[in-house]
Amino acid sequence: MIKQIDVRSVLARLGPDRPDLVTRPTGRAVRSSIEAELSRLSGRKIIVLDFTSVRTMDCSCADEIVAKLIQAYLVTEMPLPLDAFFLVKGLDEHQVEDLDEVLRRQRLALVAESAGVVRLIGDVAEQARIAFEHLALRGRAAAQELADELAWTLDDARAALDELALRHLVMLESGHYLPPTAAA
Amino acid sequence: MSALIEVPARFDEASFEQFAAGYAASKGEAKVIVDAHACEWISPYGLAALLAGGQALAERGGARPLLTVPGDKDVCHFWARMGFFTHAKELYELHGTVPRVKAGSSNVLLEVTPVRQAEDVHTVVHHIQEKSVEILTGELGLDPKGTLGFGMALSEACQNIVEHAGTGGWVAVHAYSWRKLGKRVVVIGVADAGVGFRSTLEPTQANRFGERWGDGAALEAALLHSVSRFRDPGRGQGLAGIRRYVGRWKGKISIRSGTARIAIIPEWDQDVPLEENLAPFPGAQVQIVIPAEAEPAR
Repeated sequence: MIKQIDVRSVLARLGPDRPDLVTRPTGRAVRSSIEAELSRLSGRKIIVLDFTSVRTMDCSCADEIVAKLIQAYLVTEMPLPLDAFFLVKGLDEHQVEDLDEVLRRQRLALVAESAGVVRLIGDVAEQARIAFEHLALRGRAAAQELADELAWTLDDARAALDELALRHLVMLESGHYLPPTAAA
Repeated sequence: MSALIEVPARFDEASFEQFAAGYAASKGEAKVIVDAHACEWISPYGLAALLAGGQALAERGGARPLLTVPGDKDVCHFWARMGFFTHAKELYELHGTVPRVKAGSSNVLLEVTPVRQAEDVHTVVHHIQEKSVEILTGELGLDPKGTLGFGMALSEACQNIVEHAGTGGWVAVHAYSWRKLGKRVVVIGVADAGVGFRSTLEPTQANRFGERWGDGAALEAALLHSVSRFRDPGRGQGLAGIRRYVGRWKGKISIRSGTARIAIIPEWDQDVPLEENLAPFPGAQVQIVIPAEAEPAR
């Protein structure tokens, strides 16, 4: 169900062992290597991109690795064998801020985990963001439960949750929505 | 005929215009002499720009330009320790005694380093992160988190050369006291004599800007609006990343290209945001200043 990818290890396999993710060619090479790993997977999986051992990540690599992976797997109309839910962890506050901007510019979003707390980064409608934050605290909920707890109409709650599910920011299981880490 | 370009006594970003005016005036002359004899102090920006000037003169054709090295022995030693002459001798005919000294000094975070390809950017970032964190955090009091972002900003500034200049360039990083600010600063200087921002963005942006199109508009588009020559919306984020970094650490970025110069100005400085109709100088010259003991802006 969960596939952990240590991004530093991927980088180390490509050349000199350095902890810095810089330049577009490096980003492209790291992404290609991750894509090769993902191509062997199928079904529903949480893909955890672990940056804990990475020291520097510039905006070019944030785009080449994270944004372009999301585009390849989630912003595609082609049916893929892998039903991927991406999650990043191990980034510091400033790196999260940089990645947030990179994603916003392309209208993308992603779940980020730091210190055990999950949050959405990137471009997400306000209602959907509130719904996600509630789920992150609660764990899992049906649309009706969310509507009751947030004093929303059922239609509003369902619309927000469906947007999150469509963008693979939450998982839908037996009528309940849950953020990727809650399922881990 | 020959032309003389004087290197200012204090050669930094502020006095670069004097050098650029001399460069522009030397156009068409068969022989150019760049005179640094009276130079007393130089910033990393000045060193990188002097090499970019040599590259630009070489590309004009004609005789190999001549560089008179600083007359002051200590100044000349500093240039040598910064690794300047190693690269200058490939561009200039050097006149004067070049001291043989080992490169490196306590306040030099990065000697003058050529940037031609992506691997050079890795080398620069690795060097800064491995060798200079102690200086950045200890001597200058930067938060350790700030040093990680410093590597990001340095990487993006250097990648600008690799991705857009169409030629090589140079980078240098130095820590020194900034008189205006009354505290120590870390300064990144990056310069190339490549195609510049206007040429890079012209095919996709000139029509959009209409009559306003020029070096200033190109710099505004790149630095303020993160416009890139690529249609991929993921591109053009490097300068935005630098802008965020200098904003967090109350720093400053300025970019000169062609006949214009743009700057993001912190509270402690009184620069102008955009200057146009400057003396033409090829390529792009970037300076990033991070003040010591800067608390990140909230």
